[in-house]
Amino acid sequence: MIHDFTYLRPGNVKEALAMLAQHRDGAKIICGGQSLLIIMRQGLVVTEYLVDIKGLDELNCLIYDSRAGLKIGATTTHRTIEKSRLVKEKYPVLVAMEEKLASIQVRNWGTIGGNLAHADAAGDPAPVLIALNATVTIASSAGGRSVPLEEFYPGLFETVLSPDELVTEVLVPPPPAHTATVYQKFNLLESDQGIVAVAVSLSVSDAGICQDARIVLGNAAPIPIRAKNTEKLLIGNKLNEEIFTKAGETAGEEADPVADIHASEDYRRHLIAVLTRRMTKEAWEQACQV
Amino acid sequence: MTANKYSVLNTRVHNVDGYAKVTGRATYTFDVKLPGMLYGKILRSPHPHARIISIDPTEALKLPGVRAVVTGKDTLGVKQGIWRRYPELCDEQILTIEKVRYIGEPVAAVAAITEEIAEQALDLIDVQYEVLPFVDDPMEAIKKEAPMIHEGVERNVNVTRHIEWGDVEEAFEEAEYVREDWFKLGGQAHMCMETRATVASYTSDKKLTVYTSTQSPYYHQALLAGVLGLRESDIRVIAHYVGGGFGGKFELDASQFCASVLSMKLSKPVKIVFTREEDFIATKRRTPMYYYVRTGVKKDGTFCARETRVFTNGGAYTGMGATALYLTGFFHSFPYKWKAYRYDGYRVYTNSLPSSSMRGFGAPQAMFCSEQQIDWIAADLGLDIIEIRRKNAHTTGYEVPGQATIGSCGLNQCLDRIEQWIKAKGTLPKNRAIGISAAGFMTGGIFNWFDSPYSFSSAVVTINYDGVVELHVGAQDIGQGSNTTLAMICAEALGVKLENIKVHSGDTDHCPADLGAWGSRQTLMAGNATKMAAEDAKKQLLEFASAKFGYNIIYDLDIKDNWVHNVARPERGMNYVDLVKEALRGKDGQRIIGRGHYTPHRKGMISPAYSYMVQAVEAEIDVETGKLSIINCTTAHDCGQPINTLGLIGQLEGAASMAAGYGYLENMPVEDGKVMNPNLVDYKIIRAPDMPECEIIEIDTYEPEGPYGAKEAGEGLTNPTAAALGNAIFHATGLQMKQAPIMSEMIVNAFKEKKKEGGTR
Amino acid sequence: MEKQLLRFLVNDQEYELFINPKTLLVEALRDHLGFAGAKRGCDTASCGVCTVMVNGMAVKGCSVLAVQVNGMNITTVEGLEKDGKLDPVQAAFLDEGAFQCGFCTSGMIMSARAFLNETPAPKDTMEIRRGIEGNLCRCTGYNSIVRAIDAVAKGKYREGA
Repeated sequence: MIHDFTYLRPGNVKEALAMLAQHRDGAKIICGGQSLLIIMRQGLVVTEYLVDIKGLDELNCLIYDSRAGLKIGATTTHRTIEKSRLVKEKYPVLVAMEEKLASIQVRNWGTIGGNLAHADAAGDPAPVLIALNATVTIASSAGGRSVPLEEFYPGLFETVLSPDELVTEVLVPPPPAHTATVYQKFNLLESDQGIVAVAVSLSVSDAGICQDARIVLGNAAPIPIRAKNTEKLLIGNKLNEEIFTKAGETAGEEADPVADIHASEDYRRHLIAVLTRRMTKEAWEQACQV
Repeated sequence: MTANKYSVLNTRVHNVDGYAKVTGRATYTFDVKLPGMLYGKILRSPHPHARIISIDPTEALKLPGVRAVVTGKDTLGVKQGIWRRYPELCDEQILTIEKVRYIGEPVAAVAAITEEIAEQALDLIDVQYEVLPFVDDPMEAIKKEAPMIHEGVERNVNVTRHIEWGDVEEAFEEAEYVREDWFKLGGQAHMCMETRATVASYTSDKKLTVYTSTQSPYYHQALLAGVLGLRESDIRVIAHYVGGGFGGKFELDASQFCASVLSMKLSKPVKIVFTREEDFIATKRRTPMYYYVRTGVKKDGTFCARETRVFTNGGAYTGMGATALYLTGFFHSFPYKWKAYRYDGYRVYTNSLPSSSMRGFGAPQAMFCSEQQIDWIAADLGLDIIEIRRKNAHTTGYEVPGQATIGSCGLNQCLDRIEQWIKAKGTLPKNRAIGISAAGFMTGGIFNWFDSPYSFSSAVVTINYDGVVELHVGAQDIGQGSNTTLAMICAEALGVKLENIKVHSGDTDHCPADLGAWGSRQTLMAGNATKMAAEDAKKQLLEFASAKFGYNIIYDLDIKDNWVHNVARPERGMNYVDLVKEALRGKDGQRIIGRGHYTPHRKGMISPAYSYMVQAVEAEIDVETGKLSIINCTTAHDCGQPINTLGLIGQLEGAASMAAGYGYLENMPVEDGKVMNPNLVDYKIIRAPDMPECEIIEIDTYEPEGPYGAKEAGEGLTNPTAAALGNAIFHATGLQMKQAPIMSEMIVNAFKEKKKEGGTR
Repeated sequence: MEKQLLRFLVNDQEYELFINPKTLLVEALRDHLGFAGAKRGCDTASCGVCTVMVNGMAVKGCSVLAVQVNGMNITTVEGLEKDGKLDPVQAAFLDEGAFQCGFCTSGMIMSARAFLNETPAPKDTMEIRRGIEGNLCRCTGYNSIVRAIDAVAKGKYREGA
């Protein structure tokens, strides 16, 4: 049962920010609501005011610039990203990730901003966007700031957002040369949330050396985490099967998973190891070709 | 394909309820709204085992909009059960009075003007419990020191069942190879798309109308009469459309009982719809079991003896669990000829949600153990998996000693066709293999533990002036398509076109009693009743035609495709509708009424007929992650004469989807008496992309007891899939998976175990 | 709580409701307007029996606040049959027996319709399967549903076909 609330529909971002500034802790933001309404129904979220930003078209945009990269407005739906030729061309991993995010119905109504702000450790976009080194733009009536997505999550179901702040866009830097980013989740049914997930982004130098690596583990800790020891193992090396295997093992060790009914802690580490090895190899092979 | 000798049977026809369903106009209990209707909610136990000290509804009653709160003390307190003939198995009060025995057990119910207010009121009911020690595993519950769940039931043993034939010891002596295994089988949720739902409407003239999502309106009419103290015939149960059943909707449930009790208290209609969570935690489930199987065979693969002991997790109450206990033991012998067989089954009460019937009725568990063990035996002895089955297969006319006579059996043809199919597949890629499983199933139960005084199935055929036939049956269409199948049988028997038939079902006021849709009984039992009623009506028409035509009495008359004719000279005759018009005039305007009924006699202990099948599951295993994918699921299937072609395919594909779920997805963990995944995020139901193609190979047989030779289809095919999947894993990897469902983590662990064993050798 | 005015089109007909803002779209359609074809089967946006189209897109009616579709165009299963003629998807579901209990059917048909509008020529049946991934069916095993959608995509129900 959803508890009663007062519904507020701002006409633009400025109005939305003013509402948040006024009601602060008393207000919650709804965008697509695909996750929020479920937890409101469970009584986990009770709010006095609900600020509906779904209709803010100024935040519904996908813009690409070869210097700035890709700007995705917060109210852009998953389906828009999935179907974008631009995204497909520049960041195919985002399209591949979106295609397996929940169902068409959810992707039609759910938004990227809402997804990121919901801070579910098993969410699909965050690991991929962190691997892509994305930042989120945050606005408030007092001004704005920009936070690397990697630093956006202080803890389980938490974000750095203050009550008066709103995510307005996600910025994905232009893909560096000779770089490939791949993502895979492990689940039993195709579009389920991942029991674990691994995103890997690798850059190869002209000399055929791994120049940069960003490995992000999803649902492997309370928040999406960088597997930094694993990354160190890769950087500066010409990669081979032995290193891929070692990378997997290291990632399995540096993950911090918990047990639930879907997988024990051990099994999660095992899956992270397998997926990291596979994704590292796949990213390497792709990066060597681009 | 041989030419179809029938006009209607075995053709592709639209489901008779199809227009209502594709236009959204089919009205389910979930959709029923009556004037002045109130909404009910149920307060459930948070404890697996506790004594109720007090229930105080005072604060709840003060909440504006609340109309009533009822507890067990407001009821007659009748302990009911579907095994009505055996009072000791009637152990469930629905609204319990003294003790709660599982998490989710109803302790009180509220009626209010909105669902939301009713829900708020639940929080205001003050229940004091004395928490008792609990036990949720049958192997623990059967121990001497375990808490007693039902007064006087020693070691919590609720029911025992014993099946034995032949000299088991002697037959084991004869065996040249003996193997024993323990297995563990999980529960499974019916997960009907429509959750349990009821609208009960009592009027002060002591009449109760109950709209409910049921597999058997007659059972619910009778069960409600018993617990409410009403005359059976003063209760009208209506179920025009039912959103799925699968074995979970023919025992009395809390929506039916609580809505009725509240409605009787208030003389208002009361609607109760279970949430998905309630449907998961507080209905019933497929029975979890521990299985011990010891099998002795000759080196050439001849089956000698089998000895089986089963401990089932009965949960808190009996329900249909007693039947599942018998059937799992019976079908564990299937579909093979054992010289000697012994089964001992123990149904053990535990403090967890009750276990009961679910599609397959104990047989999927039995086949998972039996059919995998057969493959392991074949591997140990170097025998072919088809050959070992062929050698021991049931055949037409075989008598399962003291239990059943097999009237028709196409098992050998099924094995032949699957063998061909496997051969045609050729070599498979690495980590991919085909596993098979044979199975058989009953076509309706002969048992009458319900103690019904009525025929098992009945039908009435009424022919109107315009030739339209009203077919009234007590059989219940829960999606399996019985309305369509029975309409087809009626049309065929009468010799008229399908569009002439109107089916009336799902209303106890207007339809004859019938035990309902469970145990794969309707095609045969309601089918026979329908055929008899149609033939009765047809006989009356032909008597009239014979007199009218004035042919020599040696000629036979018949009706086919709406044409009444002389069989020897088919061109001579008249249109069926014209004949009906004249016949009615000749009967002083009475409509023509045919009556039919069916109750099995002299057909053994279990069922009048048995279906047979062999299924091949092609699966791929990711050996590193343990992830399984079913690539293909092909079945050779003997259901006698197919009646409703489209419905048949749908039933078989549907069975495969549910059975695949039991094989590797539908894990239902219970910890400390609590179902850990009572929602559709954590409980995994197969979705379209994960569903394999299902090829159906029909095997042509004729079942003498069935209408036009038809028998069961759609339930039995739930039996082989998990076993065949297990066998596919065995043939791809050598792993022996002894627990269902086979979860990916178990596969990874099994590999680790195997590696360890290999290392120590 | 302050009630909200909601104006929207349902099956091309304009409606106005004055409702509690927490009312879900499926509740507005079923309880306020009587479009009961869409059902509810879970509380977790998992089952899809509540699927309707909003501005041509399939959405889950249990996961959208009714006030969020203010000014939008809703299509429910009741709006598919035009001039006494079933929508090709409905006709194909009948022909292929693509339903059993029928409880998921309204939502499934709406997902299928939206999918075909967007993807008139799916490249394979897997694409069709992904198109109805958000809809659970416990009866059919989906294959008959996939055949029905495939038949429509292949033009079996085109005028003159």
